[in-house]
Amino acid sequence: MIRKFLAPVIANMPLAAPGHRVLTFLAPALVADARPGQFVAVAADTGVQVLRRPFSVFTADPATGEASILFSVHGPTSQALAAMRPGDALDLVGPLGGRVFSPDSRPGVRHIFVGGGYGVPPLVFLAKTIHAADPHALMDFVDGARSKEFLVGTDGLEEIGVTLWLCTDDGSCGHHGRVTGVLPDLLGDRSRPAHIYTCGPTPMMQAVAEMAAAFDVPCQVSMEVFMPCGLGVCMGCAVHRTDGTYARGCVDGPVFDGREVVWQ
Amino acid sequence: MTAAAVTAAAAPDLSVQIGKLTLRNPVTTGSGTFGFGSELADLVDLNRLGAVCVKATTSHARIGNPPARIVETPGGMLNAIGLQNGGVENYIREKAPFLRRFDCPIIVNVPGEDPEDFAAVTRRLTEAGVADAIELNISCPNVSHGLDYATDPRLTAEVVSACRKVTDLTLIAKLSPNVTDIRPIAKAAQDAGADAISLINTLVGTSIDIKRRRFRLANGTGGLSGPAIKPIALNLVYRVAQTVTVPIIGMGGIMDASDAVEFLLAGATAVAVGTATFVNPTAVHEVADGIAAYLAQNGFTEVRQIIGAVQAADIRPRTTPEPTQEI
Repeated sequence: MIRKFLAPVIANMPLAAPGHRVLTFLAPALVADARPGQFVAVAADTGVQVLRRPFSVFTADPATGEASILFSVHGPTSQALAAMRPGDALDLVGPLGGRVFSPDSRPGVRHIFVGGGYGVPPLVFLAKTIHAADPHALMDFVDGARSKEFLVGTDGLEEIGVTLWLCTDDGSCGHHGRVTGVLPDLLGDRSRPAHIYTCGPTPMMQAVAEMAAAFDVPCQVSMEVFMPCGLGVCMGCAVHRTDGTYARGCVDGPVFDGREVVWQ
Repeated sequence: MTAAAVTAAAAPDLSVQIGKLTLRNPVTTGSGTFGFGSELADLVDLNRLGAVCVKATTSHARIGNPPARIVETPGGMLNAIGLQNGGVENYIREKAPFLRRFDCPIIVNVPGEDPEDFAAVTRRLTEAGVADAIELNISCPNVSHGLDYATDPRLTAEVVSACRKVTDLTLIAKLSPNVTDIRPIAKAAQDAGADAISLINTLVGTSIDIKRRRFRLANGTGGLSGPAIKPIALNLVYRVAQTVTVPIIGMGGIMDASDAVEFLLAGATAVAVGTATFVNPTAVHEVADGIAAYLAQNGFTEVRQIIGAVQAADIRPRTTPEPTQEI
């Protein structure tokens, strides 16, 4: 159920990556309903901006009722978020998003998460959800960023059995190059089924979706489009589908089948 | 009686009349900002709305414009959706049954390519019994058939009278702010049989990405909405209210109850909340509650007492010397 919250801020922690932070807030009703791939629309008093900004749910802990978002400071809303302190009220609407990540239920499937920069948070939520349902699930996480310090959000995943594959554009950590440089090895293992879940910059997701199609592996993509309302009413977040129609990124997505999307 | 009962008994009467419709309160939704009602069912109780105005419905389905369709600008946003909708038959079959479950008048926004097209959709909606009022969208800035009906009194009258002939439903003409003088157009709509006038539609604008040296909207131009346009909307509502006798539904940048009260004082009988819903999905309720609170705090017993109640501007010649201009 979609609700409006004035959620008390619990913590606002800077990450090692410059300008990146994790904002944790108390919202038990949101935690109870949120699914991986869903997001919250946050309002901050910026003086000039009217519309809310969407942020993927990064963590949702049923034990504490706390949820969090991971963000980098680059505009008025994120600047306002960076200044929030414990006890402040976070104005949000959520959980939003009609179609979420759907874990592949085939026995022995290899779950492959491919995240780029900002796209990591919903995939971390998904990995934790899959692990909670099946502690023996086989999971690989390919995480790409421009350099080492911008690889964020994957802390704690190895502890739940996720194999991390780090990639940097400048070679400062892990594979020197794009995430698609690592994928062929993972997809080449034909001994078990595989399934890709990806979120990040559109060119990266396009490359990942095309590689998935070439290997005939299913691929779910979480589309990064500007969502003015997040509620399905403004029709602004159009995603071009292969059937020629425009879907609403917020409620018909944000997660789509990679083969369903017309890449620009 | 308890104190609470006394307060309840003194609650101001918010009901207003728009054509044949009686609205329980003067707050409705701006077409295209509230979907078809079901999208916001978790957050908004349609039984508490004055009326619901649903997204534009055309004779045939439209896929809409390519993205980017909306860009944010200071104090507002530009949209060029391109009237994406499933067409009138889809509305009748898929959307209206949900809306009919509520005790809330339905206003269907109808764009059209020519007077015959407007009339055909109006007739179909009337026959199917799926609308309580028709809002003629003669002013959508995004449909480029070369004609913007609301920029010309004669064209406005042609559309309104074509539709008047085919329906007894309350007919509302939605006017454009993108004109030199809106008054003859409002008068033409009234004289052609419109029961009410809604204004304003969005203002045509654009925005340019200086890095890519391209327009930010795929359509090039779009319609500006949000708080940035409120002063313009308010002035046009006031001017039209001085010109016509039919009720006015005022809209344009209403974000809260005080904005809505301004429109009522300017002469609007009802108001529509549009872009504010994107920011605050429950704004429609907060605006209605806030109007009631304003009335109670200022000693009014019914909302009708403040409609058009703004005092005329003081335009008497100055009797005191002009103040020295400071540089």
